[in-house]
Amino acid sequence: MPPRYLVAGLALAALAAPASARPVSYAGGWTAMQENNGMYSSLLVHYSPTETDSIGLYVEQNQDMDQTFTGLQYNRLVRRWNAPQSQGNLYLKLGAGAADAFGSGGADVGTFAGIAADWETRRVFISYDVRARDYGPDETISHAARIGVAPYVAEFGDLHTWAMVQVENTPEADNPVTVTPLLRFFKGPLLVEAGYTLEEEEFLLNWTWRF
Amino acid sequence: MNLIKTFAFAAAVSMAPVLAHAAPETPAMAEPASGEILMANVNGLVCDFCAQSIRKILGKDDAVQKVQVDLSKGQVRVDLKPGKSLDDAALEKLIRKAGYSLVSVDRNVAK
Repeated sequence: MPPRYLVAGLALAALAAPASARPVSYAGGWTAMQENNGMYSSLLVHYSPTETDSIGLYVEQNQDMDQTFTGLQYNRLVRRWNAPQSQGNLYLKLGAGAADAFGSGGADVGTFAGIAADWETRRVFISYDVRARDYGPDETISHAARIGVAPYVAEFGDLHTWAMVQVENTPEADNPVTVTPLLRFFKGPLLVEAGYTLEEEEFLLNWTWRF
Repeated sequence: MNLIKTFAFAAAVSMAPVLAHAAPETPAMAEPASGEILMANVNGLVCDFCAQSIRKILGKDDAVQKVQVDLSKGQVRVDLKPGKSLDDAALEKLIRKAGYSLVSVDRNVAK
C-alpha cells in the first residue's frame, strides 16, 4: 500500500465525522456483524475484553477485487464523546490475514486499516468510514459516509427505524461513487439494514447482533 | 449473479440470530422484595445497544436485582437486592465499563 494513500485516507477520516455499526461492544460482550452489497460480503465476529477494544475473526468475499480475505480484526475505540442527548465515537480498525485471489489456488498476506467515526442523537445519525485494503497484488482505498434520520423516537425495546443514505467512494471501481438509500431497523440486540445501490443495481443487506 | 449470491449468503447467516432471538425474555414471576433504588443520570444513551450494554454490565453485579433504562430521560434505575449497597464510585465504574458516563446519582427514589 503506498503510504501516501494511507496517510491521505487517515487524514481525511480524522477531518470528517462518522460509521455504520459500532465495532466495539461493552466489556465482555460479543458481536456478530455481516455486510452484503454488490461489491463485497463480509462477516465479523468479535469479542470486547474491555469497553475500548475488540478482536475478532473477519471474513470478506470481495467481488470487486476478486479476492477472499480471512483474518483477524482488531478495533480500538479511540475516543467516545458521551453527551446528554448524543454520542460520538472515533474508531481505529486493523486487520491482517490471508488474501486469496479467486481461482489462484494460493494466498498472499493481506492487511487493511481503517478509521470510522460516528455521531448520533435519537433523531439524527451521521458517519464516515475509510478503509485501505492491501490484498496482495490488489490495493484499494474506500470511503463511506452516511446520514440518517429517525422518523419517530422509540423507547428501549421498541422497534427503532431509520431512513439513511450512504455514499461510497472507491476510486478504482467501475462506479467510483455509489449512492445507497437504505432503511435501518433496530430492536433489542438486533440491527438490520436493507437498501439498494443505484449505480450497481445491487441490494444491500447488513445485520449486527450483539450478545 | 452477485445479487443472488449476496442474498443467499445473507439469508443463510442472518437466520440464526433472528431465530435465536425469537423467544421472548423470561417473564418475571412474583416480584421479589427489593432494597435501595438508585436513579443514575447517564450521558450517551441514544440507542438500544446502549441500554443493552448498561443492563448487561449492571445486571452481572452481585448487588443489583433489576435494571431499567429510560432513553428519553437518559436515566438508569437500579433496584438493589435487599441488604446490598452500591456506592457512587462502584456505580460509576460499572457505567464506564458499559461505555457511558455517569453524571449524577439520586438515592432517594420512591419505590
